[in-house]
Amino acid sequence: MKCPIEKLSINKRLALFALVLGIIALFIGNTSSYKINVNAKELALSTVRNQDKISVIQLAEWIIEGKADYVLVDLRDEKSFNEYSIPNAINIKLENILDSGLMRNEKIILFGLDDITSAQAWFILKSANYKYVYILKGGINEWKEKILFPRLVENASQKEKEEFEKIKQISFYFGGIPQVVSGASSSEIYKIQSPTVPKVSPPPAGSIKSIPKKKREGC
Amino acid sequence: MTTLTGIFSKKETIVEEKTFQPKPYSNPYLVGLGLGLVLLAAFVIMGRGLGASGAASTIVAVTVSKVAPEHAAKNNFYKEYFSDGTTSPLKDWLVFEVIGVAVGGFLSGTLAHRTKRTIEKGPNISSKMRLIYAFVGGAIMGFGAKLARGCTSGQALTGGALLSLGSWAFMFAVFAGGYLTAYFLRRQWL
Amino acid sequence: MMPYYKFDYFSFDFSLVVAFIIGIAFGFALERGGFGNARILAAQFYFYNMRVLKVMFTAIVTAMIGLFYFSWFGWLDLSLVYVSDTYLIPQILGGLILGIGFVIGGYCPGTSIVSASTGRYDGMVYLAGMFFGVFVFGEMFPLIENFYNSSHLGKVTLPKFLGLSHGMVVFLVVLMALGAFALAEWGEKVMTKKLQGDKQ
Repeated sequence: MKCPIEKLSINKRLALFALVLGIIALFIGNTSSYKINVNAKELALSTVRNQDKISVIQLAEWIIEGKADYVLVDLRDEKSFNEYSIPNAINIKLENILDSGLMRNEKIILFGLDDITSAQAWFILKSANYKYVYILKGGINEWKEKILFPRLVENASQKEKEEFEKIKQISFYFGGIPQVVSGASSSEIYKIQSPTVPKVSPPPAGSIKSIPKKKREGC
Repeated sequence: MTTLTGIFSKKETIVEEKTFQPKPYSNPYLVGLGLGLVLLAAFVIMGRGLGASGAASTIVAVTVSKVAPEHAAKNNFYKEYFSDGTTSPLKDWLVFEVIGVAVGGFLSGTLAHRTKRTIEKGPNISSKMRLIYAFVGGAIMGFGAKLARGCTSGQALTGGALLSLGSWAFMFAVFAGGYLTAYFLRRQWL
Repeated sequence: MMPYYKFDYFSFDFSLVVAFIIGIAFGFALERGGFGNARILAAQFYFYNMRVLKVMFTAIVTAMIGLFYFSWFGWLDLSLVYVSDTYLIPQILGGLILGIGFVIGGYCPGTSIVSASTGRYDGMVYLAGMFFGVFVFGEMFPLIENFYNSSHLGKVTLPKFLGLSHGMVVFLVVLMALGAFALAEWGEKVMTKKLQGDKQ
């Protein structure tokens, strides 16, 4: 007994093969639905290793340097975004994160109010095969605390003072108000100061290094 | 699976035959399958398709800018093919691919004893006329390919597989243009 | 994750090596198909040898199906595969001109390279002509720049344009290709008979 397929010529077999794949494709419909394939171990490991976190100071330095090889995503609601956000951030809500046109080969830095939403978004993107996803550690709260309104207690050590000097420069760049406070009342002053968040001013022209021109890919 | 193994075993036997007569060309559907897999490899590895005329534009643009740099700098078409100055514009993906095409074609032709210094033409036309036609046809094609932003490889094949609207329109236009003029040129080929 | 280059699996310099190897395979396939021979290519337009159509559509169908399934398996990010923008009118007019050039010259750019490298003088002359044509286009570019950039529709794919699902379009293209193959086989038979009839 010969299988009926073996009786066909190669051409007809190829045609049949193509037809079958075409018919299956018809039932699949669209391919861009999000196939989530979770490599739990890999995900767990990268969480433990803390590799996918970026500190606010690191980000601030990148912005000042004019680095532009990343997309900064603000996950908070539109109202908070319009009030104040980190310069150059774009606003994408968590539920829209997969439809937002982010590319799988882009470096994506996520932040929310704190680490919770960004961790959720990180997980969604990672399991949908986005390669370079990072979390801004501490979210916008830490950004405000460390960059906009950094505080130094009066009795700080020499080393702490040196570091504060550095942060002061960064803070001024973003329109922040660094201050030296006496230990106990620090939170009080912070509360007074925090509503007056600076206006988001785009970094001065020319400070952003132009992204290298994409090479033509067409024929 | 039987279909696939069938294809490959057949292909190998064709290659192994050794005669010094030029061999007949392979089964077009198998060649198409092979070509499709090459195209797919380009998509999968590089995220882009194949091309040919783009390399010609690069070479023309570089030559013009060597001869008349100011003239070339004013032209938006040539400008597109210059690099950002860090590397040579000839260090281009398509240029290297086209060099490969020449090597691959030569290899295949030599293996099948089809490499031959000759002129391909119909029986009713002189060699000189054929070469004139070839030059004129090449020039028309070069112009058309640039207007359409690609040739049969870059637009029809690549864009066709990617289901690009412009590429499919282009493909039908090529066949239309060919069939419309074929009658007037039948003396060259038949 | 595919496409590998877009995820920085290798450098730009290595991509040129890839280009060379892919080019070799491309040239090899073209020559195997008989595309280094102007008579075979031109025969397409007289209906007695439909190799061009067969090879081209088989290749398109193969790559299209591959892309579709790779994307469905989640191996490939289709949005990162470069699709050129559609400029409808220039592309149609360019296609018509290209088709005319095809019949006159007997090659298209890719096949002329194969033909030249396998020793065909007409292929070499054709290549020279093509460089001249590109040069003329370049020199005329300021005059036709507006037309060249007209009817820009952006990245339009057939599924988007027709409002059908990707799989539906894949299915229709497969059907169309198979129909075209059947027609081509039938047409070749008719034309061969006719040619033989003419000779007797």
